[in-house]
Amino acid sequence: MVSHEEIQHVAKLMKIELDDPTIYERVDKMISYFDILDSAGVESEEMSFTEIPLSELREDKYIPFNEKLIEKLNYYKGTYVRAPKMI
Amino acid sequence: MNLKISALEFTRQVKSGNLSAEDFIAKTMERIQNIDGNLHAFLSLNDKAVDQARDIDKKIKSGEKVGECFGMPISIKDNICIKDTKTTCASKMLENFIAPYDATVITKLKQQDAIFVGKVNLDEFAMGLSTEFSAYGPSKNPWNTDYVPGGSSGGSAVSVSAFECVTSLGSDTGGSVRNPASFCSTVGYKPTYGLISRYGLISYANSIEQIGPLTRTVEDAAFMLNLITGLDPNDNTTVNNRDEDYLKDINSGIEGKKIGIIKEMIGEGIDPSVLSATKNAISKLEGLGATCEEISLDMVKYSVAAYYTITATEAGSNLARYDNLRYGYDFSVEGFEFNSYIKKARKKLGPEVTRRMILGGFVPSAGHAGKYFLKALKVKNKLTREINDVFKKFDLLISPTVPVLPFKIGEKINDPVALFLIDINTVTANLTGKPAISIPYAISNGLPIGIQLIANSMDDKLLLQAAYALEKTVVLPEVPI
Amino acid sequence: MTKIGLEIHCQLTNLESKLFCSCKANYREFEPNVNICPICMGLPGSLPRLNQKAVEKATMIAMALNCSTPEKIMFFRKNYFYPDLPKNFQITQLNIYGDTSVGGRGTLMVGDKEIRITRIQLEEDPGRLIYEGSSEKNQITLVDYNRAGTPLVEIVTEPDFENPKEVREFLNILSDLLENLGVSDPSLEGAMRADANVSIEGGNKVEIKNIGSFHDLEKAVHFEITRQQSLHSRDIPIIQETRHWDDKRKITISSRSKEEDLDYRYFLEGDIPSIRIADNIKEKLKSEMPESISSKKQRYVSKYNIPPQVADVLSSDKFYSDLFEDAHTVENAKEVANIITTDLMGLVDTREKRESSKLKSSHLKDIANSIQSGKIARNSAKNALYEIIKTGKSLSSVISEMDLGNVSDESELSKIIESVISEENQAVEQAKSNPQTINYLVGKVMQRTKGKADPKLTLDLLKKKIP
Repeated sequence: MVSHEEIQHVAKLMKIELDDPTIYERVDKMISYFDILDSAGVESEEMSFTEIPLSELREDKYIPFNEKLIEKLNYYKGTYVRAPKMI
Repeated sequence: MNLKISALEFTRQVKSGNLSAEDFIAKTMERIQNIDGNLHAFLSLNDKAVDQARDIDKKIKSGEKVGECFGMPISIKDNICIKDTKTTCASKMLENFIAPYDATVITKLKQQDAIFVGKVNLDEFAMGLSTEFSAYGPSKNPWNTDYVPGGSSGGSAVSVSAFECVTSLGSDTGGSVRNPASFCSTVGYKPTYGLISRYGLISYANSIEQIGPLTRTVEDAAFMLNLITGLDPNDNTTVNNRDEDYLKDINSGIEGKKIGIIKEMIGEGIDPSVLSATKNAISKLEGLGATCEEISLDMVKYSVAAYYTITATEAGSNLARYDNLRYGYDFSVEGFEFNSYIKKARKKLGPEVTRRMILGGFVPSAGHAGKYFLKALKVKNKLTREINDVFKKFDLLISPTVPVLPFKIGEKINDPVALFLIDINTVTANLTGKPAISIPYAISNGLPIGIQLIANSMDDKLLLQAAYALEKTVVLPEVPI
Repeated sequence: MTKIGLEIHCQLTNLESKLFCSCKANYREFEPNVNICPICMGLPGSLPRLNQKAVEKATMIAMALNCSTPEKIMFFRKNYFYPDLPKNFQITQLNIYGDTSVGGRGTLMVGDKEIRITRIQLEEDPGRLIYEGSSEKNQITLVDYNRAGTPLVEIVTEPDFENPKEVREFLNILSDLLENLGVSDPSLEGAMRADANVSIEGGNKVEIKNIGSFHDLEKAVHFEITRQQSLHSRDIPIIQETRHWDDKRKITISSRSKEEDLDYRYFLEGDIPSIRIADNIKEKLKSEMPESISSKKQRYVSKYNIPPQVADVLSSDKFYSDLFEDAHTVENAKEVANIITTDLMGLVDTREKRESSKLKSSHLKDIANSIQSGKIARNSAKNALYEIIKTGKSLSSVISEMDLGNVSDESELSKIIESVISEENQAVEQAKSNPQTINYLVGKVMQRTKGKADPKLTLDLLKKKIP
């Protein structure tokens, strides 16, 4: 069972407003289903990862973006992007 | 005019001068106008499509070099960026977002003279398997409009199946191409992870998702792959396929191939008509000279839980950028403090996305990662080892694409765990990076059933050959629309 | 005992492009939000494209700090919301699956003391915030994303420092090292920043953030030690917390319990596969690394017999050592070193002066050779140097324009010497019995010629004329 406090804490982290009262139950149902992972017996599993050689990475070259991007972002107008005040 | 032709047929006819691209596109747009009000596959239309087709006809007449698509109408899932075009992800959060660049697949298709007739519907940010979670309303299944078309690439499947375009591009994170293809009786193909660039595909769970075509025929899927595959400097996860021609030798047959039947995907909860269609497909494959044998992938039992844990974690991070500061909708920051503004701005995210954000904050958090996220990664790792072991002895794996028939709109929307389990047969290919394809195979009570084949990484050519062989064993009725 | 640890952020300013896109690494020359693209703005659908050279330069830093370098490196996402982060996560490095950041444990000597390096990681710099508005109501944050995605190397040390002076010395040595490596120009504004953590005997660790310069860092650490000692002496517990440096008031302020609310949800960045750095690549990088400061110093002392203090100054400043390397020969090395460390230093002691200086290494070579051959006196050489820095003219034209050349014409010099001998009877007499006095007479000749007499010729002539 995931407590309401825990869900509220996560919502705060994720910048989500919890105005849907059904969310607690549904999220709890989903997370409870994930408990099945406990019986997978994978504790000792060694992780493996895909690799590429250094040589495949991008060459260090300056290529400016071909358009004035800031003017294309429609909501914002001006040189600086405006953000709310920080506390 | 016959709008029901395949991509290969279309290109042949236009190339030979028997068909005008302009006429075909005009007819296609007319059909969309006539039937899409009911089906709701499209979120936006390209009003220059007919003009673009006319230009291609001109090029053909004047003997200029024309790309391999010859003006073929393609619909694009609305989570793939087309420059200067709205790309909404079926979310209110991006209702005004105009992409300032082309996705790599779009660049490639433009070079081949494809025509994008419009952007098609999906579950918001591709999170769902019915399109019921689209912020702009669900799409309807052309086989029966009371039913869901599957998802998340529901709009893609509907548009292909209802002849509103010839082919479509969707994206497949846990079955999002194959599931709607199965529900709408089209071919749906998710290639090996890395075979198609994801640059310009708006990320949901980037470590496992791929762009994939939805088409009328297996040959069309191979044709599309030929056009959009390849190493992309813009996507560090793309792999080199050495210019493989996937269409060549597609009719090689499957004689002598060993096919594993995945036991865990035909067990509990499977619809009897789906099971019998699967058994029928197996016997057809054996008839073509393949040997089929039951195999077990122990980790499949945990795959859905692992899948949702991993996708929620990645989505929680991938969707964090939607804070409405740099782009988004008109909502002034004046008078707000940072946290309260971002929370208010993010209220435009729909209910399912909101729930996934909570999951995505919870399962990888410091106190819970060990129990959920890290374990899910280990399940993914072990499942990959299991399937790699199986591929040492088998060439292909088979299962139904979806264990159940399409369901009614609204039927399962409030039961998250029931929805989870519909993904049981498709998520394995994503978690392991393997290529998989859904082939339309049967119609039961007027609703489609698809069969899934899975191959080893980079064995996409073999997969398409087998799918082609299976496809040739059935003749299906036409969509009743 | 006081323990101080550091987290130093160093921008790889010498790269052409950002860490994950092709925008310019040097963001300083642009109007706000011009040096941006879909990738560094985190637009939907964009993916990071890792800069190969950034990995190479970061690996070089790791090698220069004697750190272990792993076979493969990995990138992770650090998730938190902040307006300067376009994606609301930062791509950085971490050692979750073994040591996979560019550098593992290493060391750097500060005098006789060894400072341990914990790890080195490659990451992206965020954008820049400007806080605007006077009253509470109209406050707003302006964001410039030109800097977002700039390659940054974070160097984390163990808490091995005991006082602010050691911190200062370490940072000086480190910034000289990074400049010498050719990876960064520490004199650029914001190119090097550091956070510190401080704890005194019996107290908890306190982190200090938001320190603008190394100068302020020393002050912040000093303030923090004093603050903690004062709490301790009054038996008030020192809590573990993060404090911000208030630049205006020059004090540290508690950042409230903001940190408790953070949970970075670190996980692998799936858009960047692990990067394999093979041994032969590492060897190649090592061979491309410029000679270290200490090796240079040693060479200057042993090969050219340059005094250790001079060699120290010369080797630790890349600007000087580059000039020296180009200008010197075995014969003139000492003279070149001398000119740089006595005459040049005061003339190019700021970034601006260095940038506007027109001096080339060839000038230095000419000056040193001219001093050695007696063409120009040291005093005149200094004047010539000043003129060359301003104008970039050749030494020969400066000498003739400013009439700085030595009087080396024997007959001209003889006349001057004879007139000195006739005026300095007493000294001439003394010189006959006491050879030291002859130096006094040389000095007089120099006075007459305003220092331009060829000293060697003068001495020879004097000796001839005073038997």
